[in-house]
Amino acid sequence: MSEEQIKEKPKKRRTATKAAASIGPMVKALIGNTLKAKEEGKQKLAFTFIVCSQEEIFRAMDIIPVWTEQFAGICGAKRDSERFLERAESLGLSRSLCTYALCGIGFDQWREELGEMPPDPPWGGQVRPDMMLSSGQILCDPRSKWYQASQQYMPDVPIYNMDMPYPLFNPKQDHRKVWGYYHKYIVQEMRGLITFLEEQTGNKMDYDRLEELVDLTDRTWNLIHETYELRKAHPSPMGTGDAMNTMVPMTFMLATQEAYDFYADLHKELKDKIANKEGIIENERFRLLWGGGLPAWYALQDFNYFNSKGAVFPVETTYRMVAPLDEMDIPKTSDPVEHMAWRWLGFWTFWYDRARQRPGSEPDVERLISYIEDYDIDGVVMHEAFSCRTWHVGLIWQLHQLAKIYKPIPVLSLGKNEKQVKGQRELPSLILESDIIDISSYSEVDTRNKIDAFIETLESVEKSKVV
Amino acid sequence: MPSYFAGIDIGSTMTKVVIMDEEIIASIVGPTGPEHRRLADQVMAEALKKADLPFEAIDYIVSTGYGRINVPFADKQITEISCHAKGIAHLFPKARTVIDVGGQDSKGIKIGGNGKPVNFIMNDKCAAGSGRFLDILADALELDIAELGPLSLNAKEPAEISNICTVYAEQEVKTKLVEGVSLPDLVAGIHESLANRIFRMVNRLKVEADVILTGGVAKNIGFVKALSDKLGHETTVPSNPLLTGALGAALLGKDLVEQAMKKGQPLKKQERSLKQVRIL
Repeated sequence: MSEEQIKEKPKKRRTATKAAASIGPMVKALIGNTLKAKEEGKQKLAFTFIVCSQEEIFRAMDIIPVWTEQFAGICGAKRDSERFLERAESLGLSRSLCTYALCGIGFDQWREELGEMPPDPPWGGQVRPDMMLSSGQILCDPRSKWYQASQQYMPDVPIYNMDMPYPLFNPKQDHRKVWGYYHKYIVQEMRGLITFLEEQTGNKMDYDRLEELVDLTDRTWNLIHETYELRKAHPSPMGTGDAMNTMVPMTFMLATQEAYDFYADLHKELKDKIANKEGIIENERFRLLWGGGLPAWYALQDFNYFNSKGAVFPVETTYRMVAPLDEMDIPKTSDPVEHMAWRWLGFWTFWYDRARQRPGSEPDVERLISYIEDYDIDGVVMHEAFSCRTWHVGLIWQLHQLAKIYKPIPVLSLGKNEKQVKGQRELPSLILESDIIDISSYSEVDTRNKIDAFIETLESVEKSKVV
Repeated sequence: MPSYFAGIDIGSTMTKVVIMDEEIIASIVGPTGPEHRRLADQVMAEALKKADLPFEAIDYIVSTGYGRINVPFADKQITEISCHAKGIAHLFPKARTVIDVGGQDSKGIKIGGNGKPVNFIMNDKCAAGSGRFLDILADALELDIAELGPLSLNAKEPAEISNICTVYAEQEVKTKLVEGVSLPDLVAGIHESLANRIFRMVNRLKVEADVILTGGVAKNIGFVKALSDKLGHETTVPSNPLLTGALGAALLGKDLVEQAMKKGQPLKKQERSLKQVRIL
């Protein structure tokens, strides 16, 4: 698509909750705030990434985050990423790289070249930052390289790259034996970030404020966990389609009272829906787990398509980036930075103990099993986004392992001598293929054909179940 | 009075129709093409003529395949996954895996002990995993598509086709031809390349015997051999591997009618006529 081509306006997705419906204006306001702050010039703006456990630090120092993944996602959802992707390609970057990064780099380069926002920037555009705070999270290398590439077009904007490792899963070793070393290292990285921000702002960190914000984040994590657990209800009051909206405060607004209040409202809304037996759809036939993969942001209507076939998603692994603090078994500390580091380690190792107890399991697979059981799941759907190998490369393996170690459906099948025998089979699964924001990889017809076939498979499994 | 059922499978390359009562009484296989897709009514009329039946005699019509929505006279649309599984389970009750390699896509279907699909996988993103791969490379070698299978059986050392993209593979094949690689070796290499691609896809399903191959490419004996070797399983090809989807569609229609009768709630025949599709 050329830059001048008229864009097809995406249809608005139907939401089941008021909370999800309120997200659009909220995101618009987040972007609007960055534009306003840039204009006023009173506060520093920092490019940064989600799920890096750094929110409390920059918020305590009054720095305004510019979430670059969010802006790329908005471009995708508005079906307006192609012109920025094309520009990144023309800069010599391959389309097979992370398309979030390509979109952001393409936009930034264009803005820098023009000295103003590119024409018709989505929701006003992405501002020029005062600094860039990156972290690869040990699993996402584009996060470390993205800002380095952007810096070619903004050479005066400094980068702080925070390394945030965690012990990898070892079925034969308790991670607690080594996580102390990781903790020390992460704390050092976080203190390094504080020093960097103090240099950039000329202000000292207010540790009392930091402590308050850390406490607020802890409480928000617990509230989110509690709220999302409500979706176990039959019928489920909220699906993954909505969760792709309600992830916004969790990922872009942590350490703010607004985020806490949002989940308090959502909690109440879901409670009310459960009391009224109000589900995502009227007749819930199949309950599915969104078992991995970032969504195709331009095709969120596919969740409505699943709904039209009687299928709902009461749970997803994507963007559920919190865990209950009291179940984490992390050491207590009065130092907020040390606590943030423990919380980070507690989150990434949350499924390790359970995985060690089931031969052949891994934390990601254990999480799937846990959700399948807790949310009464009939099938698993995953999305393979070609440009995001970090998050997507292990999905097929996870399904393989799941099928190997976990067969939850009792069925009748033909055995020897044509006699029917009782057995167990794995949950049906579906892998959708496209990309997070590159619409050229997506075909609605093919995707919906696969969904139709998957629904028919669920129907046939349902019929073969031993009651 | 006998009951008649029809299944119409509009694939990306071929259109297939089966009309049956207890057995198949007529079947048609013809190229789809834009006109045929638009004129599904004419294909159906041709099948009815072959069966010597008026349109009104058909009790239930199920359409399937990518073009299933373009059949305005169908009583129900069912995906090709369910239809293939049904058709194959009818012909081969012990079948547990179906591998269908069509003109533009390929799919693997796991069938449960009850003859119903329990899992599936589809490749629709790339021509290199479909019959189109063979079409293009046969053209590049100036061979008729039907010649590929028998020719490959004379191969001594199948050539390695390393490109997984059809366009690049075409160039690679031409280069190897210039280098003096024999035609049988080249064609066998092409079959292995396609078989490897299909294997990688269906392997996700954990293939179980009996394995049945369907689709137009299943008519190619060289490909069948290459895929069977790769799978490590014997494979069976139905006598007409293109018809199993349409057969399954007709059988599913029959099941629906019979189940409704059992419940004492016979399906009402809806107003339908053999008319052209308007949407295209």
